[in-house]
Amino acid sequence: MASFERISIKNLTKSFKNADGGKNTIFENVTFELNSGAILRLSGASGSGKTTFMNVMSGLIKPDSGSIFFGNIDITSLDEGGKDRFRAENIGYIFQTFNLLSPFSVIENVYAPLAFAGKLPENYKDKVLDSLDKVGMKDFAAKKPYHLSVGQKQRVAAARVLFADPPLVFADEPTASLDRNSSELVKNTLLELNKKGTTLVLTSHDSIFDDVKPDIDFNLETGVLS
Amino acid sequence: MKYAFILKAVLHSISHRKFSVFTSIFAISAAFAFLAAIGCVSFGLAATAVNSSLAFPLIVGPAGASDTTLVMSTLFNTDKPAGTIDYEVAEKLEKDERVSSVFPIARSDSYMGIPITGVESAYINEIVSRFWDIDPMIDAKDIFGGQNINCAVVGAKAAMRYDMSVWDTFFGSHGTVGDEDAHIHDFKYKVCAVMEPLNGPEDFAIFTSLKSVWEIHKHGHHHHHHEDAEDEEHEHEEAEEEHEEHNHHEAEHDEHEHSSEGKITAVLVKTKNPVFTAALEREYSENGFTSATDTGRTVRKLMSYMNKAEDAAGFFSYGTLFLVMIMVFVAILTSVNERKREMALMRTLGIGKLPISLMIFLELLFISVSGIALGILGGHALLAFCKPAIDFELGINLEPFFFTEIEFRGAVYTLIAGIILSLAAMVKIYRMNLVEEIAKD
Repeated sequence: MASFERISIKNLTKSFKNADGGKNTIFENVTFELNSGAILRLSGASGSGKTTFMNVMSGLIKPDSGSIFFGNIDITSLDEGGKDRFRAENIGYIFQTFNLLSPFSVIENVYAPLAFAGKLPENYKDKVLDSLDKVGMKDFAAKKPYHLSVGQKQRVAAARVLFADPPLVFADEPTASLDRNSSELVKNTLLELNKKGTTLVLTSHDSIFDDVKPDIDFNLETGVLS
Repeated sequence: MKYAFILKAVLHSISHRKFSVFTSIFAISAAFAFLAAIGCVSFGLAATAVNSSLAFPLIVGPAGASDTTLVMSTLFNTDKPAGTIDYEVAEKLEKDERVSSVFPIARSDSYMGIPITGVESAYINEIVSRFWDIDPMIDAKDIFGGQNINCAVVGAKAAMRYDMSVWDTFFGSHGTVGDEDAHIHDFKYKVCAVMEPLNGPEDFAIFTSLKSVWEIHKHGHHHHHHEDAEDEEHEHEEAEEEHEEHNHHEAEHDEHEHSSEGKITAVLVKTKNPVFTAALEREYSENGFTSATDTGRTVRKLMSYMNKAEDAAGFFSYGTLFLVMIMVFVAILTSVNERKREMALMRTLGIGKLPISLMIFLELLFISVSGIALGILGGHALLAFCKPAIDFELGINLEPFFFTEIEFRGAVYTLIAGIILSLAAMVKIYRMNLVEEIAKD
């Protein structure tokens, strides 16, 4: 796992244009620091901008202004290729839905990001199977995503994160529409990674995460950091 | 490893979209197979025509026969003769010092759709050097000599098609190929030789002696008269005027389609040089009794018509191919729009724009190349399958696995179009802001 000591967000602002030409500010001048291995919880009602904040933070969307430093790397100053490489090497994702690439099998979905980046470790297949085993999906390794239930797909996404072992994981409503067992499995995977030093950025309305105490809670609805 | 995985991803993507990929490949293949067929048939036709025109530079036939009729009814056996001329024409030509050899021919009956042509032994010696099979009692160099007037020399493909071998006998149908009123008569032919394949119209022909054609004429004439007599016995009421008209019609029929005794339908002439060919053509076209044609010139004229037809067919094929390529391009772009989310997810996972657009490029290229390859293989396999029918029906010596120029050009154009369209799709994907797609959600 690559690492960076601290994530520093400085004066981050993002707005979108409305249909009527007006400006809709999602967040403005957000500044905070997050230590490596910390948990950042993004809260607020649906549509308050939690996913947008994640996308800006991971370099998927450009902010209007401000900077995001991972260690001494400002992701906002990287070009497209640089951002792609940075994401492939440092960031893991678990989304609410649509986590897997449909043409690939389960095992390929787990190692695809590193394969495309040309960064596959030796004995990667054993490691992938080990990750799948941890989320109870080893027996489904050769299956295609359309054979899986929503919960199983989420578990594969969790295995992908486990395998890549990135320093930062974004989990956007990772347990929504999952049964209790699957939710527990995904939650435990995330916490296990966090315990090993992975920084976790989490949004969730699921009460299963109520006992998880974040280092920083950023309410996008009110703009309050706590 | 990175590029190996991109290739693997392309194959996965193709297998994931089997139906649309198969449809696209099939569309290109079908257009391409058509191109392959045009090329091969035209080439086969040209080769057959050129070979035939080289063998006999001049053809002399009855007055009023067009150049095309003379060539088609003699060298290709596909047209009815325009009438008859006296055998003396051949004799006169033979004595002409500008002529090296003459081959009188008389179109006669047909057997199962195969034309039977009366010739002299010299003609057989001219066109064939070896026989597949020959009656051991017969002199191969004078095959119609002696009493062998009903001897039939059968072309290789005709023999194979109707399982004809030496000593077999058969009856011809009176009337040339394609006559609706052709009927079987009782002149018995005996197969005395089967020629080796000549890769020309001769393979689907039967040759017999000139004498037998004249004999059949007499025979057929009697046969007709015999039938007429029977008619008269049973239908006494038939008006005499009508009967005369019938006889007149019969005479005209014979005059135009069969050679009477001492009559032939054409003379194939070998001249000593092309200047003599031109002079003889002029002389025998202007005497009022015969017409003559320079075979090479007529074949070239026919070929130029054929080339125009080939060009037109080629133009439409290229047009079809181009439209197919556009259709494939649109289909791919539509699927790209449908795959935006998938590609956006790939971008999220850190998979760069270049590998993603490279995947689309390779996918389109795969479709183009597979379409071309399958089109070539399928087209030629289809031609090989249809070869016997094409040989038989059109008298074309088809080389089903010959790669023609029109096909080569088609392959190059399709490949270039495929690469350009693939690059266009690749650029479109590269410029697409897939991440904004996620943001919109």
